[in-house]
Amino acid sequence: MKNSIGQKKTEEVPGMATDIIPFETEMNRGFLQVLVLVLLEKSRYGYSIIKQLEEKGYALEENTLYPLLRRLEKKGLIKGNWELSEDRPRKFYIISEEGRAIRHQLLEIWHGQNEILNHLLEENKNV
Amino acid sequence: MYEKLRKYLEEIGHYLAASKEKEEILTELKSHILEKAEQEFGEVTEDALERVMNVYGSPRKVAEKYMEGYQIIAPSFKGYLIRYTSILFIFHFGLILLSLIFKTSMAVLPFFYIPKIDSFQALFYLPMAFVFDLGLVGMILYFVTQSRKDIRLPWPKLKLNWQKIIERRQVKSKIIPLILMLMGYAALVWIYLRLDTLFFKTLDFQNTQSLLTPVASQWYSLALLALLGIGILAYAIKFFTTSEWVNLLRSALQLIILGIVINMPIDNPFIELIYLDLNAIANIIIAIIAALIAIDFLKSLIILGKKALMKKTFS
Repeated sequence: MKNSIGQKKTEEVPGMATDIIPFETEMNRGFLQVLVLVLLEKSRYGYSIIKQLEEKGYALEENTLYPLLRRLEKKGLIKGNWELSEDRPRKFYIISEEGRAIRHQLLEIWHGQNEILNHLLEENKNV
Repeated sequence: MYEKLRKYLEEIGHYLAASKEKEEILTELKSHILEKAEQEFGEVTEDALERVMNVYGSPRKVAEKYMEGYQIIAPSFKGYLIRYTSILFIFHFGLILLSLIFKTSMAVLPFFYIPKIDSFQALFYLPMAFVFDLGLVGMILYFVTQSRKDIRLPWPKLKLNWQKIIERRQVKSKIIPLILMLMGYAALVWIYLRLDTLFFKTLDFQNTQSLLTPVASQWYSLALLALLGIGILAYAIKFFTTSEWVNLLRSALQLIILGIVINMPIDNPFIELIYLDLNAIANIIIAIIAALIAIDFLKSLIILGKKALMKKTFS
């Protein structure tokens, strides 16, 4: 079963009344950005990014990825370049220097947030 | 090129009309769709493309994904769209009333130009004025949003307790005031039926003399009776319901009657009195009455809007 951005759906908790999908979509928004910045250390084109992520167990809709690639390119975090490969024009993307710097900061934030969360979850166990 | 794909991209392009990167996005999308069709179905055929397009979703959905984050008016300014439009419309409404009463065109350049119109035309002009005001405020807020500056929009800090204001207007009618009103009204009708006018030059009942010409007497007296009659009827209805719609309808009907009064084809309604310009005085009195009713009309509109908003917030 896939959720709104195509990721495998989280296991449903019995008796759960609220739909998890909107919350999951919200959470994935930032995560996917980091994921793409990590993945584009190597030059890749759109379809290959999707396939690569699928292999890692992260299914994702084209409709989510391609607008994100555009936004990242517009902000200068990745560079896009049209190339002719296998007789087909494909747009290849690769991370820029600015993108690397942002990625570094984002990962630091993410690690920091993880630590806070783990710390709080530990505290909860003692309640 | 594949016909279905061409149509699909054309449709997406229609929704992307506001985007500067429309052509670039469409080129990218075309490449992505062709790629997926070939990779997943072995070769690019109309059938394969149709299946891929079905997975992509409706053209509008695809276009909107590319426009995420693009705002015409920032969410923080949206509340001001209605606020500023209301203020502008009140101002506009007042000007229209003045131009109706003084039978002249009016201009507040560069924003307003109100042509010389009659009451009937004003009924059509008012919604147009509202749309204009909404558009004008919308345009200004659009530029403010696009400037991306932290502009603090001015708004007076009125601490109005809307709950209290609404409650105060929702009081049910009482029987004694209604009886007094009906008695007063009956007396006015009696005077009109006996003397053919409600406007007198002197208060000497032995020798009554109308202030107006016979035709004007008849029209203006009937208009006054209609105005008061509507007011009393609305008061009576408020025995059964305290809906703000009653007030709104009352004010609207009274404004229409005033509109008719202003446009009556009577050139010189007064019996000649040289020491006073009665026409000017009459216009000022009508303007004051019209303004009071118009304020009440707008109050009803604001309260109805506020009530709808409160209902939405608390539901």
